[in-house]
Amino acid sequence: MRRVIEGSHAVAEAVRLARVQVTSAYPITPQTHIVEILSEYCEKGALKARFLRMESEHSCLAALIGAQLMGVRTFTATSSQGLAYMHELLHWAAGARLPIVMAEVNRALAPGWNIWTDQTDSLSQRDTGWIQLYCEDGQEVLDSTLLAFRLAETVNLPVMVVLDAFYLSHTYEPVDIPTEEEADRFLPPYAPRFRMDTAEPCSFGALVPPGDYMEMRHDMALAMEDALMQLVEIEGEFTRIFGRRHGPIEAIDCNDAEIILVTSGTITSTARLVVRTLRERGEKIGLLKIRLFRPFPTAILRETIGRAKKVAVIDRNCSFGAGGIFAQELRAALCNLDPRPLIYGYIAGLGGRDVTPEVIEEIYRRTQSTDRPEAEGVWIGLREAL
Amino acid sequence: MSEAAMQNRLFIPRSCLTTEGNKTGSWRFLRPRYEDKTAPCAAGCPAGEDIPKIEMLTAQGFFKEAWETILQENPFPAVCGRVCFHPCEGSCNRGEYDDSVAVHTLERFLSDTAARYDFRPSFARLPSRKERISVVGAGPAGLAAAWFLTLLGYSCDVFEASPEAGGVLRWGIPAYRLPADALRQDLRRFEREGIRIFTRRPMDRQFFAEAAGRYQAVILACGHGRGQSLSIPGEMEVGVIEGLDFLRMIRASEMAVGGGTEAVIVNGAGCGRSMDTLGEGEAAAEGSEFPGKIGEGALSSFDGLTAVIGGGNTAVDVARSVIRLGGKAVICYRRRRQDMPAFADEVRMALEEGVALEGLVSPAAAGRDGEEIVLSLRQMIVAGMEGSGRARVIPDGDKMKEVRVRRVIRATGAGPEESWMLPAVEGTKVLALSHCRLVSGEGKLVVVYAGDLANATKSVAHAIASGKEAAIALNALLREGSEAVIPRLQACAVGDGPALSMEVCLGGERRLRSRHIVSYTEINTDHFGFAPRITQPRLLVEERVRSFAEIDLKISAGLAMKEAERCFNCGLCNGCDKCWLYCPDVAVIREGEARRIHYDYCKGCGICVVECPRNAMSLGEGEGEG
Repeated sequence: MRRVIEGSHAVAEAVRLARVQVTSAYPITPQTHIVEILSEYCEKGALKARFLRMESEHSCLAALIGAQLMGVRTFTATSSQGLAYMHELLHWAAGARLPIVMAEVNRALAPGWNIWTDQTDSLSQRDTGWIQLYCEDGQEVLDSTLLAFRLAETVNLPVMVVLDAFYLSHTYEPVDIPTEEEADRFLPPYAPRFRMDTAEPCSFGALVPPGDYMEMRHDMALAMEDALMQLVEIEGEFTRIFGRRHGPIEAIDCNDAEIILVTSGTITSTARLVVRTLRERGEKIGLLKIRLFRPFPTAILRETIGRAKKVAVIDRNCSFGAGGIFAQELRAALCNLDPRPLIYGYIAGLGGRDVTPEVIEEIYRRTQSTDRPEAEGVWIGLREAL
Repeated sequence: MSEAAMQNRLFIPRSCLTTEGNKTGSWRFLRPRYEDKTAPCAAGCPAGEDIPKIEMLTAQGFFKEAWETILQENPFPAVCGRVCFHPCEGSCNRGEYDDSVAVHTLERFLSDTAARYDFRPSFARLPSRKERISVVGAGPAGLAAAWFLTLLGYSCDVFEASPEAGGVLRWGIPAYRLPADALRQDLRRFEREGIRIFTRRPMDRQFFAEAAGRYQAVILACGHGRGQSLSIPGEMEVGVIEGLDFLRMIRASEMAVGGGTEAVIVNGAGCGRSMDTLGEGEAAAEGSEFPGKIGEGALSSFDGLTAVIGGGNTAVDVARSVIRLGGKAVICYRRRRQDMPAFADEVRMALEEGVALEGLVSPAAAGRDGEEIVLSLRQMIVAGMEGSGRARVIPDGDKMKEVRVRRVIRATGAGPEESWMLPAVEGTKVLALSHCRLVSGEGKLVVVYAGDLANATKSVAHAIASGKEAAIALNALLREGSEAVIPRLQACAVGDGPALSMEVCLGGERRLRSRHIVSYTEINTDHFGFAPRITQPRLLVEERVRSFAEIDLKISAGLAMKEAERCFNCGLCNGCDKCWLYCPDVAVIREGEARRIHYDYCKGCGICVVECPRNAMSLGEGEGEG
């Protein structure tokens, strides 16, 4: 059934369809709409979950770690400082191999205080062992969230479904909402591979000496690598039921492109328009959207954009001293290719600043007109004098 | 994809061994401990009652134990459940949250319950001692002293001038506030504990000479029973009636009704007659205006307006009694209503019942005009405030007003029957304490002045406090000498004192409590919800003014438990187990009723202390005590 709903509500619908059993919440703009809807669902009985109002995001995740260990499906949502506050437990959840699903609404980190979109919050958690999916529109938010539970439970790693603040979280779009029967067909009840049981007392996550720790971590690394193939397989099943596929990446007009734009999140939609317009004028431009950031789909990327001359990466984030984070990752992914495209890194749209078609076209033109990147990260759209 | 990943391996640390080997208690810097403290109500109660424990037991349905807890500190629960002005409620922490706990109503409930089921209390009591103590005056102070001295092992004889024990409780406080049955309920226990009360034994100087041979000490607690004159022209001529005599006469009529043997006639023109003559069947027939035999309904002449001079509880008691006798009453007070020493609730009820209040007037003269008395009143004005918060008043120039009344009753303060009953103010052998005065006289006889003779505040609760202080002080004096008196009293103090605890004196568990008085900010109100305070059920005004029937009615056990549950139990562990529930290290161990901290695993996070709703835990450095 197609309904016009907010991106936040798309998350909540997916959580409802996933029949989550425990959800924890601590309010933070722009995530709050998600847990508000969930609290209503829990109140009305549309979602038969225990809704935990916690005193902090740190406790939110701690509570879910405990709940998930008891063998139930769990969910929480947060943003920005809230995610930063969870940091220690992000590592813990992944290391404990708990398939927790979280919606992360990208929001700039303070100071200066800013509630608008910026990817630095989620990207600075890239090494915590969480699978990360970046969404472009409301439909993808719903689909990714539903899929996240299946993926997480398959590889026993937590999944972060990432969506842009306001451009996605607070924007109403038509979204096809599956029926409960369809959702149940895709996502069976959670069958934990291990759980706490008071009948057989044991502790999880206890001391691991050097003789075993590396093997444990290697196992995690293997599971993370496996997640890419699992995603493809699970999405195959998803497509059979729902008729939609988003893929780990999406390539548009990349086959013959000389310059390929690389985007993530809602900037992709704007870039699609720019690419279509420039293609009509005969420009050899392509667009690559990265949806799966962890695990980073290195092999697929090499195959898809390795033959282009130039790749222009638009980062709505910044790793200070190293430029945009998607650009870094792409450089690393392609550096052992020979020949390989030049990587142009652009930083745009921080703290919710609009990335318009004009901004994207400027990026394209600059890439086209320079033989070599001007810098590792070029800031686009800065005001000239403050 | 590696083969291992394809097999979807899951290599995680899981241990089935106990984690008890990891003694995380060694990480501790701060150390929580169970530490019961002092509730502000208990410290605010002159008798030092263990109110948080009383309410805890009441809430749990342990009514007998709750009642016994009162008795440990106060032998008069039936009396105080009715007439105490409950300073405890004024210091109740719950008052800052929504409304104070109705401690007073619950005390009354427990005494009603004790009477209903004829509870027989069990007490801690020290072994018998050889010393004998004589107590003069069977009012609240004297009886309390006798009670506590008995618990301390002494045998006591009480001598009372009037025909029945009780003092002000029997003869001064009107029956609508304190029925005789309620008083007898408390007095019966004195007999059961072997305290001998000799009535109709008035006090004189001769008594001391005889007492010296038989007793080691005399507690002198014969009260302030003699009213003070108004000292205005015409006072004697018009026959101003003494308020205490008036109240005494009404209470004495209950004897006539109840026993049917003693005709009571009071001389209305006199300035009071001591009770040793009252009730002897002696008819003072010349009470020309005043009616005799009130109890038999001979009240036809008690009509018209009565002026009551004064602003204390006696004045209000008199005025409300006049209303009940079918008359009209106006209270003439030199300050304003809010300055009246009478309990505000009593004043409010008096006005409801039709008592008029004339503030800022001071009697100047009285004269007779046929059947009526013309009372000249000097008008007063407020000229600033006294330190106590009362208005300071001065005459408003020469302004006067007159009221025409049928009779004038004065209630302007009282003093002892005889001036020699007043204690020496100072001297080498005088030990002045908060509520009593010890005088080591010639020979070995120790005289302790107690009750109104030594109390700044004249209330029943303060009289009981005086009796307790006298008993503890006397015990210390007799056992260890005068040097020990102050330290012994200090050791028994509830909080900062001056309230004292007999349980502490007798070595009970209460001695382990910290003296720290729990403040409202130390209560974790997250664990409480707003709940309305019980409303004391009362007779309707229409019923009240027709008789001397008791105004305050009984409450049910269900309502009492509900009200008792409102108590924060400040500073007292009631086994709510919030500590156990919140401890992240499962280091709170429950052993039956007791709780203890397993210090092998307590990391000292302090969550238990913060979550304790009632501040019955403390957090501190050091591994020493507790």
